[in-house]
Amino acid sequence: MAVVDEPTRRDIEAFVYLEARLADESRYDEWEALVTDDMHYWVPFGPGDYEPGTRVSYINDNRARLGTRIRQLATGVHHAQDPPSSMRRVVSNIEILSAEGDEFEVGSNFVLYEHAVQATGHLRLWAGRATHRLRRTADGLRMAAKKVELVNSTSPLPNLPFII
Amino acid sequence: MALTVQNSTASNDYRYLVQDDRIHGSLYTDPTVFADEMQRIFTDGWVFVGHESEVPEVGDWVSRRLGTEPVLMVRNRDGAISVVANRCAHRGTTLCPQNDGNNRNFRCAYHGWTYDLDGTLLGVPGPKGFHKDTADLGLDRPGQVDDYRGFVFANRSGTAGSLSDHLGAGGTDLIDRTSNMSPTGRVRLSAGWIGQRIDSNWKMWPESDHDGYHLNFTHASMARAVPDTYYDEIVMTGEEASESATRAYDGGHLELDFRRSYTAELAWLGTTREKVADYCDALEGSYGPEKAKTIMWDGPPHALVFPNLFLAEMNIARIEPVSPGVTVHRHTPLLVEGTDESVNRRLVLQSEAAMGPASFFLTDDAVIAERMHRAFEGAAAGEDGWVDLSRGLEREHIEDGQRWSDITDETTNRGFWHHYREVMAGAAGGRHNGT
Repeated sequence: MAVVDEPTRRDIEAFVYLEARLADESRYDEWEALVTDDMHYWVPFGPGDYEPGTRVSYINDNRARLGTRIRQLATGVHHAQDPPSSMRRVVSNIEILSAEGDEFEVGSNFVLYEHAVQATGHLRLWAGRATHRLRRTADGLRMAAKKVELVNSTSPLPNLPFII
Repeated sequence: MALTVQNSTASNDYRYLVQDDRIHGSLYTDPTVFADEMQRIFTDGWVFVGHESEVPEVGDWVSRRLGTEPVLMVRNRDGAISVVANRCAHRGTTLCPQNDGNNRNFRCAYHGWTYDLDGTLLGVPGPKGFHKDTADLGLDRPGQVDDYRGFVFANRSGTAGSLSDHLGAGGTDLIDRTSNMSPTGRVRLSAGWIGQRIDSNWKMWPESDHDGYHLNFTHASMARAVPDTYYDEIVMTGEEASESATRAYDGGHLELDFRRSYTAELAWLGTTREKVADYCDALEGSYGPEKAKTIMWDGPPHALVFPNLFLAEMNIARIEPVSPGVTVHRHTPLLVEGTDESVNRRLVLQSEAAMGPASFFLTDDAVIAERMHRAFEGAAAGEDGWVDLSRGLEREHIEDGQRWSDITDETTNRGFWHHYREVMAGAAGGRHNGT
């Protein structure tokens, strides 16, 4: 666990909450503006303790593929998010796991309620742990990596076309 | 008229419900149809279970389903593969609740009954209390288990005839073409399986996975987000221009045949020879330049082996019925052997883009299937609620035991349903059976 000064801690927490809210509200352009050019977005199968690409993951996006994902969402004809799911997540247990130079590794837990309005109308529950790697830049904090370990990732999952 | 009679699964008239150019929507939603399918297709017929490369070491096992019955595919002490019920023969407890593992034997957590890897009962605690011969109380096993090029199939009833008859020339060729993508001729399914839970009937998956007509619409977002995918030739060209074909083989096996559409070698891999030189050299070393060239141009098939094996180009997928309204679509990347691992890394990345609940393609297919299922749940009870499958019926061709047509024609869908009709109406018959 890293010790950082209070203003830094407040900045980090504010960033994690902002990122969650933009994802909840499917504000893709604003969400994408939070990421660095070397962003890695990863939703592993099981614990994220393996090298991505050596086994199949739900999501293993480098910056280019993440761009494709967001462009697809923004086409307006991505049926899996047309209309976008109504979502709210609760983020808690925020811990700054490490601080080295301009980079911070931040752990948090989340519970996400999704109203899958595209077909079934089901209320879907997603829960897991997010690990952010945040970097201080001239424009403020930016996200260089986000790993999302779902508690039930080893069981079949319903559609996950939104940003989790 | 009532199309089904409640509480009587023998009375569904499959020759009426499946017609040459249309099928009735109740086939997706009626629980008595689902019960018939679990018997006639998934118990009396051959079902894909897994690939031998998934259980390389003695004691390795993976959890699977034959229809809705949980089973284990296990590597035995003698190197053979067995398929056994994942259910204690005593009181029915699930033996292995995990997805996979390695065991010396299987011990039930409830009363300690212990089974060898092939399902033989090794011992029970307190044997004097049993007057039966416990040697007769092994794990249930399917009547037949067989493999073709490492693809393991099982037939619970044991009455389905041979696996080679089930595959026929079409299914055999499809598995050959898949296996030959590996320079050693042996593919490896070791990158893990991802499951996608979809609230639709299972039969919408053989249909959707082999529908060449939907790409322009269901996957329009992908065409716009990535204008240079290898589906372009099919997606962007008109009805008359595409060189691809739909094929329906004897036995209900289906193919979307993209081979003639590819305009470059390795187009199906989205790359060029320089990027995967080691793989291409290995193919040439194994198969010779002529056959290797064909493999590099044609790529892997996009095909169904009836009823549940989807040869999804460089993925293998299993279609797992759960209930009339729930299906799990599972996939794993098709890895190759005899070359460096860089091509396998590429295959894992390609798999993550195409397949699964967070992919660029199957997410849209899933929502379309869920919309279909919702629509039929409310409508499929009477003379309404038919599904039209007539597209291309008048322009398809029959040649060498297969029916083929334009890539956008419903030849594949009809091929699935017409085979389904034979299997479902078969011995049990319907009201019109034999007329």
